[in-house]
Amino acid sequence: MTSPPKSVAIRSVDVREPLHPILDVTEYGLTRVFVSDGGELIGSVDIGNARGPISATRLRDGIASGLSYTLMKRTVERQLGGVEVPPNLSPAVRVSIVIPTCNRPDDLRRCLRAVEQQRASRPVEVVVIDNRPGPSSPTRAVAAEFDGIVCIDEPRPGLSYARNAGFATATGEIMIAIDDDVTVPAGWLERLVAPFARPEVMAVTGHVLPFELETESQCRFEAYGGLGKGFTGLEVNGEWFRGHRGPVPTWKLGATANAAFRAAIFSDPQIGVLDEALGAGMPTGCSEDTYLFYRILKAGHTMTYEPTAWVWHRHRRDAPALRRQIYSYSKGHVAYHLTTLLRDGDRRALVRLFYSLPKVYVKRTWARLRGWSDYPLSLILVEIAGTLAGPWALWQARRRVRRLGPGARPKTDHAVSLEGHFTQTPAA
Amino acid sequence: MKLICADLEGRLPAVPRRVVGAQWVLVRLHGYPLGFVTPPAMGCTSEQLRQLALRELAGPIATHLASDSIGDGAPVPNALARIAAPCPRWPVTGNGVVTVAVCTRDGAARLGECLDALATLEYPPEQLDLLIVDNAPTDSATRDLVARYPRMRYVPEPRPGLDWARNRAAREARGDVIAFTDDDVSVDPMWVRAIAGAFAEEPDAMCVTGLVVPDEIDTPAQALFETYGGFGRGFERSVSRVAPGERAVRRYGGTGRFGTGANMAFRRSFFDLAGFFDPALDVGTPANGGGDLEMFFRVLKSGHALVYEPAAMVRHRHRRDYASLREQIANNGVGFFAYLVRTAQAYPAERFAVLRLGVWWLWWWNVRRLLRALVRPSAFPLDLVIAEFKGSFVGLRRYAAARRRAEDVLGRFGSDAEPLNALAAGDRT
Repeated sequence: MTSPPKSVAIRSVDVREPLHPILDVTEYGLTRVFVSDGGELIGSVDIGNARGPISATRLRDGIASGLSYTLMKRTVERQLGGVEVPPNLSPAVRVSIVIPTCNRPDDLRRCLRAVEQQRASRPVEVVVIDNRPGPSSPTRAVAAEFDGIVCIDEPRPGLSYARNAGFATATGEIMIAIDDDVTVPAGWLERLVAPFARPEVMAVTGHVLPFELETESQCRFEAYGGLGKGFTGLEVNGEWFRGHRGPVPTWKLGATANAAFRAAIFSDPQIGVLDEALGAGMPTGCSEDTYLFYRILKAGHTMTYEPTAWVWHRHRRDAPALRRQIYSYSKGHVAYHLTTLLRDGDRRALVRLFYSLPKVYVKRTWARLRGWSDYPLSLILVEIAGTLAGPWALWQARRRVRRLGPGARPKTDHAVSLEGHFTQTPAA
Repeated sequence: MKLICADLEGRLPAVPRRVVGAQWVLVRLHGYPLGFVTPPAMGCTSEQLRQLALRELAGPIATHLASDSIGDGAPVPNALARIAAPCPRWPVTGNGVVTVAVCTRDGAARLGECLDALATLEYPPEQLDLLIVDNAPTDSATRDLVARYPRMRYVPEPRPGLDWARNRAAREARGDVIAFTDDDVSVDPMWVRAIAGAFAEEPDAMCVTGLVVPDEIDTPAQALFETYGGFGRGFERSVSRVAPGERAVRRYGGTGRFGTGANMAFRRSFFDLAGFFDPALDVGTPANGGGDLEMFFRVLKSGHALVYEPAAMVRHRHRRDYASLREQIANNGVGFFAYLVRTAQAYPAERFAVLRLGVWWLWWWNVRRLLRALVRPSAFPLDLVIAEFKGSFVGLRRYAAARRRAEDVLGRFGSDAEPLNALAAGDRT
């Protein structure tokens, strides 16, 4: 069997361990190697192996020339003793992992298996939410294969309904949100929650890497931007939020495919839970996470993007699914901006909607017509269509939420008990 | 003045005041070439040269040191301390028997320096097979010269033409790897080690080429050869391979970028697999070149890897006078287009791609240079560009003539079985 010519092999190596040749990539023209240094992800390099094996020397050369600056910087930092070891989060802090799913038993099983192998010195609770419960739903059976998994139902369709139900049920002080189509590598959990050792941090997002790039759609999705936000960490706060003259680029912070929150924020009246009108399963399609980040930052709290806490995400394999996804991303993006405009009176959204978004599409079309990029015109059209459908989608979604009623809310007494734990509650 | 080599891990040489020509200094680290630096005309001290090299080549040095630190476990306490540490890349213990073949024709005058350099090769003597092929000798000068070096074998090849001599070497070779070089070349002591190491590292590589640096830049003609294109192909190691189903000519037809016949090595098994050098190509035939280019293409076309390993370095003595430089540049055009004609004949399925490549090359290389030379005469001498341009058209007709000549040579000297094989190499469909 030969794979389509565009597929890319995904491998990962650690530069602290002896390098071995990569022999099993003879079906691929290109190999993307994710490089970590002592378990910490530092970057990726592409090696054009043209369906041949990659020798250890070639691998070493590729990593050295692609990441020489990063590697040398790290070496010099170590030499100067400049790497500050961040304080670890107390092992007494309880963590809940919230995984919504609907009728995807194979993905869920793979996800839970990886979650189960996380070694943590702290109590960890896993909550699975079945968003399409019923007698034929396979979710409970899959959850029963693993020990100690809390499985609840949320029959109201919508990812935000499901996640909110999970947040309401889970009992941890830290809530981790992941999707059912991700798998997590060893050591992920501790790296993701480590920034919470600082009391001002209210949310942490992580990197999302492609689990596989087998089909053209998966490669296109990664070329579209994927879900990852790069290998450089980022820390933002209320100052960052207020400092932007244009719209705040909260979408550059990550997604709930891999994010963690302090449970206390969900019962904070300034922040609240995920907006049920946004997100997958609703006409808007996405952006519930972006809007939650918006609320957190607006309340003056700190968020960090932690690229070393990465997960593997399996992108949709077929072309219609890719188009649907990009369509709903565009819809959701507009719905998000309208929400910040209508709910929060943030007029910066107008700049995005009427100036920078159209400019992006014109630029992309121009680049495509000039042959500077190979991002297909058809996908640009899909994005424009999604953008135009955004306002209608938001209205539809709001109507549906009114009909279905508000989602589950966390019990307030639980949150109040947390207030004492974080002595240094930041001012809004 | 000879090219100065500066090895960063040791004490760097002082550069004397420049008398003639240009003075470049090749900077190496752990034997690996990193790049050239140009010291000031009045010369500089050892310490000044070190400062210059560290400043100009900080990027390549960092990359090399980073590469050394990958996969060795512990983090390095001091980045620069690694410069002095030994590099694990090319152990002095051998990597199999290597035959070094020097093909020469009436070259006794040039050959002495070449043989002296061969004698300094760092490789276990029992795994090194040094072969001097004397092409169509007219006197015994070369034989007498080689007799002075006890470890070298002298083999005459009566059929005139460089590729006949290369094929003779391929058949006489005792090694699993045959490294070819020319009689106007001085090899680096590490040359064979780097070639054998590259073959050991890349099991599916059938060809390894390396860096060719100028031995001296004394005359304007030698400087012009370097700026016109030269033989150097950079300081980055690369592995090239044509994926199955990929059109080879389209991406890899211009094989000149992979290296040159003055510094190339093949596995001996490749000649059994894909045939020998085409005796209708290269110096001594009407085609006057292209034998090396054609072999590089054959390696890629057959789906094997071709490695460019800069550490396998040789120094080439460029032609000193302008007339021979122009002849050589004109022959580049002749040889390249003769190679294209041969490729179009041998692989009918890629004929259109070869045509495209030929037209593109005429535009990209010849016409653009012509326009540049017209607009800015200081860039390249116009007659040099025109000579190469003319050569390109001459080359189109030369392959057929060379083919007849090769068959004629076969008739006169008899067949040794292998040359027929070489003439037939290509798509056997």
